[in-house]
Amino acid sequence: MAAGGNNRSRLLLVILLVTSLFLITLDLRGVSITKNSRSATQSLLAPIQRGVSDFFSPVGNFFSDVKNFGKTKAELKDLKSENAKLREKVIFNQDTNGQLNKLKGVLDLAGRGGYKVVSARVIGKGSSSTFSQIITIDAGTNDGVKKDMTVMGELGLVGVVKSTTPTSAIVLLMNDPTFRIGVRIARSQSVGVLMGEGDNTYTLQLLDPSGSIEVNDVLLSLGSDNNRPFVPGLPVGYVKSVKNTSATLTQEASVRSYSNLGSLGVVSVIIRVSNGGPKDALIPQPMPTPTTTIYVTQSPTPEATN
Amino acid sequence: MSWSRAGFSALILFFFFVVQESAISKIDFPISGFSLYLCVLLGLMALEDRFGAIAMGFIGGLILDLSPSSDSPFGKWALILTLVGYLFSRNRESIGDFTERPIAFVLFVSAGATATLLIFLIFGVILGENNGAVITNLQTVVGNGIWTLLFSSVLLPGLVALRNYTLTTRERL
Repeated sequence: MAAGGNNRSRLLLVILLVTSLFLITLDLRGVSITKNSRSATQSLLAPIQRGVSDFFSPVGNFFSDVKNFGKTKAELKDLKSENAKLREKVIFNQDTNGQLNKLKGVLDLAGRGGYKVVSARVIGKGSSSTFSQIITIDAGTNDGVKKDMTVMGELGLVGVVKSTTPTSAIVLLMNDPTFRIGVRIARSQSVGVLMGEGDNTYTLQLLDPSGSIEVNDVLLSLGSDNNRPFVPGLPVGYVKSVKNTSATLTQEASVRSYSNLGSLGVVSVIIRVSNGGPKDALIPQPMPTPTTTIYVTQSPTPEATN
Repeated sequence: MSWSRAGFSALILFFFFVVQESAISKIDFPISGFSLYLCVLLGLMALEDRFGAIAMGFIGGLILDLSPSSDSPFGKWALILTLVGYLFSRNRESIGDFTERPIAFVLFVSAGATATLLIFLIFGVILGENNGAVITNLQTVVGNGIWTLLFSSVLLPGLVALRNYTLTTRERL
């Protein structure tokens, strides 16, 4: 009886393994049934994710808040004194009234770049069991979002639209290991490929062996045909360190992105680019160093008055 | 495992899949994320006999393959979890009844979750996928294992009750 049960189990195991391999083969050959099943799931999950998003957003950061609880007291004291100083500054500095929130930052960057964008809320993140870096946004084909459109944040590139449903879209973040983008170094105009590595670091590989990379070089997106998947001129990141290895033919550098992909709340999908893109208009400007101007007024000496 | 129980188990697993994709994945866990779905699936598989564990592994894998966030070919999770189901059932037989040994259950499920993710990565390499930085992946695997260790102990009574609820009268006897 036990032997019979074992044989039945083995037969089932073989059948199911063969079925799985068959499904993998179908998927790798691009059969639409498997692709469509994921789109259907996304359509089903999007309304739920949107509903859960409002309720769950305070819970989402619970662990990081708890982790930082010890630091908070000391930081609170520092922040209080800093806040008092800042309050004084606010009175004298009218410019601080124009502090922008995240959405305004995104729209500002889009406006300067001449991008027509659709802004969207992030309603989901990729599951840890899939090892892929993705987010789900609450804008889809109904809003004009299509596959392979560039997604930007308030400081620059965030990712690219991977798939869409009428009301939502999945965005492949730029730190995904499969993510590749052609970039241009603003200073030297050298061209290279930027690769995600699954965490906060990126690798830049120059295409030209004689090109030059320096620390703090700004990287802009190179752009694609018809601006899809990437629009040109969008800030991508800056060079953190240059890898000097003789083992590779081209130069490599470690890059840090401008966008903080860990705290994305609102993003914008670039629908259209006007006038051939922003060229170099979006290169992040370094913070101006404050200069001190001293005025010297000669006070009248007693002899002169006499 | 009867057809009706397979269908009911699939519904339960799909419910946890929706919870995972829409809520749990939004929580920013320290070290790395936690997969409630894998924890529940492996917990249910640990309570099944060999035939049931293999079947449930395949069903659970197919549901996980539906994940929109997945970049791997459809069927990869089904393949891996069918294999894990078989390995689970083989080892489970040597351990005995988990309902009377909760610590063994918790350790078994968390080891299973870690092994599953490692097998997933290895299959990814075999299929030529780019899995990214090794350190990040190991962090994800270890982090998930730790969270599974913590949460599976809480989930055990619920999983046993859930499984008993799905048993047919004949299976109860």
